[in-house]
This record gives sequence, structure tokens and C-alpha cells, in this order.
Amino acid sequence: MTANIREFPGTSINEQDFDDGKILYNFDKLNGIYAWDTGIGIGSYLASLKNGVLLGSHCKTCRKVVVPPRTICEWCFRPMNEFVPLKDTGIVNTFSLCYVTWDVQRIKDPEIPAVIDIDGASPMHGIMHMLGDVDPQNVKIGMRVQAVWKPANERQGSINDILYFKPIEEK
Amino acid sequence: MTLLNRDPNSPVVWNGELPVTNRYTYGLAGEKFFRTLKDEERILGTHCPHCDQTYVPASIFCERCLAKLDDWVDVGTSGEVNTFTFLHVNLDGSLREKPEIIAFVRFGDGGLIHRLGEINPDQVQIGIMVQAVFKPASDRIGSILDIDYFKPV
Repeated sequence: MTANIREFPGTSINEQDFDDGKILYNFDKLNGIYAWDTGIGIGSYLASLKNGVLLGSHCKTCRKVVVPPRTICEWCFRPMNEFVPLKDTGIVNTFSLCYVTWDVQRIKDPEIPAVIDIDGASPMHGIMHMLGDVDPQNVKIGMRVQAVWKPANERQGSINDILYFKPIEEK
Repeated sequence: MTLLNRDPNSPVVWNGELPVTNRYTYGLAGEKFFRTLKDEERILGTHCPHCDQTYVPASIFCERCLAKLDDWVDVGTSGEVNTFTFLHVNLDGSLREKPEIIAFVRFGDGGLIHRLGEINPDQVQIGIMVQAVFKPASDRIGSILDIDYFKPV
């Protein structure tokens, strides 16, 4: 629609005008510092990520294993029964090839965010992470992948302790 | 077993920072207003002949009749204190030794909110005339803070 508009109303300015001092402006940086209570479930998840383990939680009533772990079952609303360590392998549930970064920079090699169903969790239960070490054209739904971890001494209890997931070489 | 206890090794909070920045341009009227303030030490307003209103800071449209305004008027650098307040606490919550005096100084039918200086707090009254004290030209950046403070005439 906008392609048909030759000239937009208003006064157009560009980056060069700011650099040349043609335009007065006020630059401001808002205070965006926050602290988010991790709670019992995610707190334990982050603590075990530091040890190189993906943690889930199990509801005996519904026979569900969810990841990341929650303390309350989403189906029966009863307290979950136990934490269960899961494997760091899984199946690509869905993925995207992103040629634009979060701050709107164009990139040549795409970032590949994917939802990965973790082995040991109930079917269709997984986490979102990045795929790496793979040709973007070869990424397929259903592909088996494995986590690539940071070295143990660099882990800080964050989801970024997993660098990315890479395809498992089929033998 | 229910999951009631926090893993002793778990982080209590997740700390983060949202990268929020903004760049505000002043618009057509604001650009001229601040440019004149910076380069010529003058305060400009715009006058609407239909409504007989003088807007300070300058506005490009009359907010009463919505007419476009191009009658720019110099309103001088001294105005009357319309109202004021004393601030005893800094932004970070610490107590100030001397209060900061913030006043609304009337120009035309509008005015500017700014700080008062060179004045004893108990001398501040509604109705006193104050005059703008500008920063040295080299320190001015095209902001309302190019006026350092207002002092009594």
C-alpha cells in the first residue's frame, strides 16, 4: 500500500542530519534493570543447568514430564511429585531461519531458533533454543539434536550455558 | 514428595537489563525554540491572532482553534514566578543540604518550569520577577538546561 505513496507528509530527517548537528535532539537511556524471582521450579532448573543437566518435573497423576520444571501440574493443578533429570538430546519440533537479529541488523548466516522436544519429557514438551553447527538448508523437523554445553567452569546457571543444539551424526 | 524447597544452589533472582534508549527530536517549533535559545539566548513563543494567545514554549499549532501559527514573538528572558516548590530530596533518595527550588516562570500565556538560583529560599514568593541565567555558549547543547537557572531581577 505504501508503495503507491510518492511523498509522505511531514519533515523527513536521516542519521546524517544528527551527525552534522542539523537537528537538535535529546538522547535518553531508561533504567531497565530488573530482578526476577526464579522460584522453586526455574531456580532448580538454572542450578542444574550449571551442572550440565536439563531438569524436568514429573506429575504421577497425569504421568507427564514437563521441561522446564514447574511445581504445579498444568493439567490437574496438583503439586508436581518430583524433579527428573533429562537427557540433553531431543527432536526438532519446529524451527525458523532468521536473517534479521533482535536489534534489526541484517545477517548473511541465519540464526536458527528452534523448539526442541527433550528426550525423557512427554511428547511435544520441549524448550526453545538455537541450532548450530548445521547447514541452514539441512535443518528438518524431526531431526535429532544434542546440546553443546559451555565448559563447566564457564557455566553460570543460565539457559545460555547450552551454546546451541547440533545434529546428532547418524551412524 | 512435593516440590516445596528451593534448590540451595539455585539463584534467588534472575538479574537482567532491558536495553531501552530513545532519541527525542523537538519537532518544527521545538527545533526553532531550542535553536534560538542555544544560539541567541532568546526565548520564543508563537502568537495566535485569532485566540490572542501566546504559546511558550513555541507551538506550531494553536491548541484552541488548531490554526497553524507562524507569528513568532520574543517574550524576553524574565518572567513572573507563578508557583514554586522546594525539593529536599535528591533523585537517589538522599537528603539535600540546601533545597532545590523549582518554579513555574510565566512567559506570555505559557511558561517554563525551571530551577531558581542566587536566591534565599525564604525570599521566594509567588509574583517575584526572575531572569534567565544562561550557561556559557560553549556548554549549550540545545536543551532547556542551556538556561542554568533563573535569578531574581
